[in-house]
Amino acid sequence: MNILEISDLTVRFGGLTAVNAVSLDVSEKQIVSVIGPNGAGKTTLFNAITGLHEPTAGRICFNGTEACRPFGLATAMMLILIGLIAALSALLVVNVEPLWDTAITANYVYQQPFSWVKAARAASHYFAEQPGRRFIVPFLIGALTGLAGAYAIWSRTRRAPEVAARAGIARTFQNIRLFNQMTALDNVLLGMDSRLHTRFWHAALRLSLYWREREESRQQAMEILRFVNLLEDAHQLAENLSYGHQRRLEIARALAMQPRLLLLDEPAAGMNPAEAQDLMKLIHDIRNRGITVLLIEHHMPVVMGISDRIAVLDHGEKIAEGSPNEVRGDPRVIEAYLGKEHGDIPTA
Amino acid sequence: MSGAEIFLQQLIIGLSNGMIIALIALGYTMVYGIIELINFAHGDLFMLGCFAALTLMGLFGLDHVATGSSGVWPGLLLMLIVVPLFCGGLNWVVDRFAYRHLRESTKLAPLVSAIGVSFVFMNLGLLWGGVPMKVFGFGRAAAAPKDFPELLSNTNLLGQSTVQFSGKDLMVFVVTLPLMALLTWYVKSTRAGKAMRAVAQDRLAAQLMGIPVDRVIGQTFLIGGALAGVASVVFAIYNNTIYYQMGYRAGIDAFTAAVLGGIGSLPGAVLGGLVIGLARAFCDQYIETRWTNVLVFAVLILVLVFRPSGLLGAPAKEKV
Amino acid sequence: MATQRRILFHWLFLLVAALIPVVELALPGRLHFGDLLRPIFIMAMLGLGLNILTGFTGLLNLGVAAFMAVGAYSYAILTCDIYPFRLGFWPATLVTVLVGLTVGLLLGLPTIRLRGDYLAIVTLGFGEIVEDVLKNLDSITKGTQGINPLPSPSVFGYRFRPETYQPWYYLFLGILALLVLLNRNLHRSRIGRAWISIREDELASSCMGINPMKMKLLAFALGAAQCSLAGALWASYLGSSGEPGNYDFQVSIIAVCIVIVGGMGNVGGVLLGALVIMGFNSIVLETVTNFLKAHQLISSSNVFTSPGNWKYMLYGLALILMMRFRPEGLLPSKQLKAELHPPEPNVPPPAS
Repeated sequence: MNILEISDLTVRFGGLTAVNAVSLDVSEKQIVSVIGPNGAGKTTLFNAITGLHEPTAGRICFNGTEACRPFGLATAMMLILIGLIAALSALLVVNVEPLWDTAITANYVYQQPFSWVKAARAASHYFAEQPGRRFIVPFLIGALTGLAGAYAIWSRTRRAPEVAARAGIARTFQNIRLFNQMTALDNVLLGMDSRLHTRFWHAALRLSLYWREREESRQQAMEILRFVNLLEDAHQLAENLSYGHQRRLEIARALAMQPRLLLLDEPAAGMNPAEAQDLMKLIHDIRNRGITVLLIEHHMPVVMGISDRIAVLDHGEKIAEGSPNEVRGDPRVIEAYLGKEHGDIPTA
Repeated sequence: MSGAEIFLQQLIIGLSNGMIIALIALGYTMVYGIIELINFAHGDLFMLGCFAALTLMGLFGLDHVATGSSGVWPGLLLMLIVVPLFCGGLNWVVDRFAYRHLRESTKLAPLVSAIGVSFVFMNLGLLWGGVPMKVFGFGRAAAAPKDFPELLSNTNLLGQSTVQFSGKDLMVFVVTLPLMALLTWYVKSTRAGKAMRAVAQDRLAAQLMGIPVDRVIGQTFLIGGALAGVASVVFAIYNNTIYYQMGYRAGIDAFTAAVLGGIGSLPGAVLGGLVIGLARAFCDQYIETRWTNVLVFAVLILVLVFRPSGLLGAPAKEKV
Repeated sequence: MATQRRILFHWLFLLVAALIPVVELALPGRLHFGDLLRPIFIMAMLGLGLNILTGFTGLLNLGVAAFMAVGAYSYAILTCDIYPFRLGFWPATLVTVLVGLTVGLLLGLPTIRLRGDYLAIVTLGFGEIVEDVLKNLDSITKGTQGINPLPSPSVFGYRFRPETYQPWYYLFLGILALLVLLNRNLHRSRIGRAWISIREDELASSCMGINPMKMKLLAFALGAAQCSLAGALWASYLGSSGEPGNYDFQVSIIAVCIVIVGGMGNVGGVLLGALVIMGFNSIVLETVTNFLKAHQLISSSNVFTSPGNWKYMLYGLALILMMRFRPEGLLPSKQLKAELHPPEPNVPPPAS
């Protein structure tokens, strides 16, 4: 079963085509590596999958559907609500002074009881006098502007990263993007956020759900930290961790999202061989938990060691795909790497 | 006046005021473009420029010169040279001592520093108004607005037409248009201008290319300040009254103009300034004056809803 | 541990503040500043509201005085008997908080996707136009006169009087304590964490499933509600809505300074900031002016010798120097100290 299907994906930035008609299918619980020289479009591919870039052409299907916010009933109602709010604001802006005068000031005698019914009647008279100018025109203009504006803002966020994240895609970043001023534990808890149920009221009033979930989430976070071997660093500030530990923390944070697909962007960068071995074991453990892993990597021993399949990109195009052995011997792949330090692609 | 004439009149007023706002916005957007600092003190720098211009008038006895006479020209030239130098220099000094060491910290620290500078400038303006010179009313009422002598007359250059276009309006265009052209040439074609753009795009890369980043930033403050200085002279001659709190209003207009056009974009600042100038003029005429600020704000929000980077701004690209 | 020290500070502040009137009663005529603390409480509330927006979520708001004005005027319209509403203290305050919340949402909705600096300028403009609107709708807001007089609050049956300040003092202190509790609860919860992650790195935060728009709107709503509450209490204390000019840029900037000088993102820091900045204004400046007046060093014809005319200069220099030497504030979150004194960047060794 294909958890991820990328069909003819093209991502263009102005004149630059970063990804050109790339197709890739990833089966569940596979470990697939995307390799290629620098600038081949690998991170752009990841960014498109996770919703940071809008595809210029082509489709990305995760779990059978495109991960974007559907235009459903809820959205339509929200747009209408905002349109209404804008319309009411427009009405208010145009009419508030005279309306106040006729409804309230004219009817209110100092310190005498006030009749709201009379005020309402005065207000409706006010509008009935010049319905076009006072009611219909502002209402319509406000409603249209509100709808258009809300739609403009909404449509720009259809493929926002949080949509892909909630659908079950988690990622790490090429240049580590941890929340440096939070502890490791807090970073992982942040990753878990979309699975939590505590609402504003629970937190503000410290209701029992808050305490319960706090305990449960902490335990789960600790378990994840133990899984990636960072338990001792749980209360350290993220920015105080060593480079290798930071990379692992990013993975832990991504795992906290309970994703079905995990995208790792150069997780082995800057690692020595021992650390790379640990990383490979970790990725295997992750796959054994049922998570599909898609990986960008330059570190060939890692790529060759753990991948089920490898896709090779060069200048935005996919030039090869297959098992590690197939890719290793592919002349086009060797040519793409020719001139770099790699030369012949090493096996270990 | 017929409808068309009213419209034309407001067009002239709007464009003149818009050009002045554009000048201030240009200086502000240049500094923002290069170090992403909301320079709060910029409006107050403009105000100090006006006070400097008035001081020059007093020192050289220019307040006695007859309106519109030939004695006006040397005075005008003097102000247009000295005041921009003063403002540019002051801006450069402020960068050197209040912002330079904050280059590496978050955005908030330089912003608060700029707020501090703004307060200092405003206080300077208040105290300046108390200087015992004739042009300042002998320092008797420091906080009161000061009159700026009428150097150019109000006579309509269009003769008997009901539409007014005076020497003052002409001066605005004659000073600002060539200046903007000069600025565009400077930024596009000179080495210094290119260095400025490089630092604005990617400071680290520019540094690695051997560009003296701090010096370039200092130059930007100098030029931005100078632009504010020119705006002060033009404003003072056009409006004939200055007061120590005017920096705040001017600042808001300039910031709004810069944001409207897209912060960091020079043509954007000019466009934004003109839009605001025109919006003000038309609102004053066709709707009530008291709602002008609200209208300008509404225009700003509307533009930003549909174009969050401003009219001519480029969306900020985050490298992931 | 540093956290312990910070946890203690705001409770310490509240405790000391609670004891001051008692001390004053015991030593009559010695201390005169019990009454001066009321504005500090109000500004601290304003600072807490701004702290949610700027300190936690990183949304720079340069116009919080607008929310305060909305609060003050709403409270005034609802309680003054020139209008038919005539609500009691608690209902009026509640409605005012709701109004503030709504206004916050109205400002947040169109600006939700704006970059930080664009938002800052928009909030600056918002502060301007609220002042303008209040001035211009003078049949409702009484323009520059303000709406007055307002009846003194009646809390649990006891009607406050303007002469005795203690009940007001404890009312404000109590509400401040509740707000401190609320803000701390939010800070140390999923909500606070989400807000801080948005401030730190909005992109990464959204990649983790957080919906930045929703959280920002929440921040707007809550921050505005708190600022409006501060405005309502201020109006009740003044007995008037005040005039629109009272809620201008100066007030917004004081709030910004309170949050930053105290130590951003940190409830205890906001309280300290309020103490320092308002204290400087009311206590230090007053004393110096009185001293100079007593020694006849002030001449009204010379602008240079009146201390009041140097106020902005001092504020300005203090801010500049503060940012030069201690930009993290007086009581920093250790978090923020790290942000402002960045360590050597972690550069990976070249790939082999």
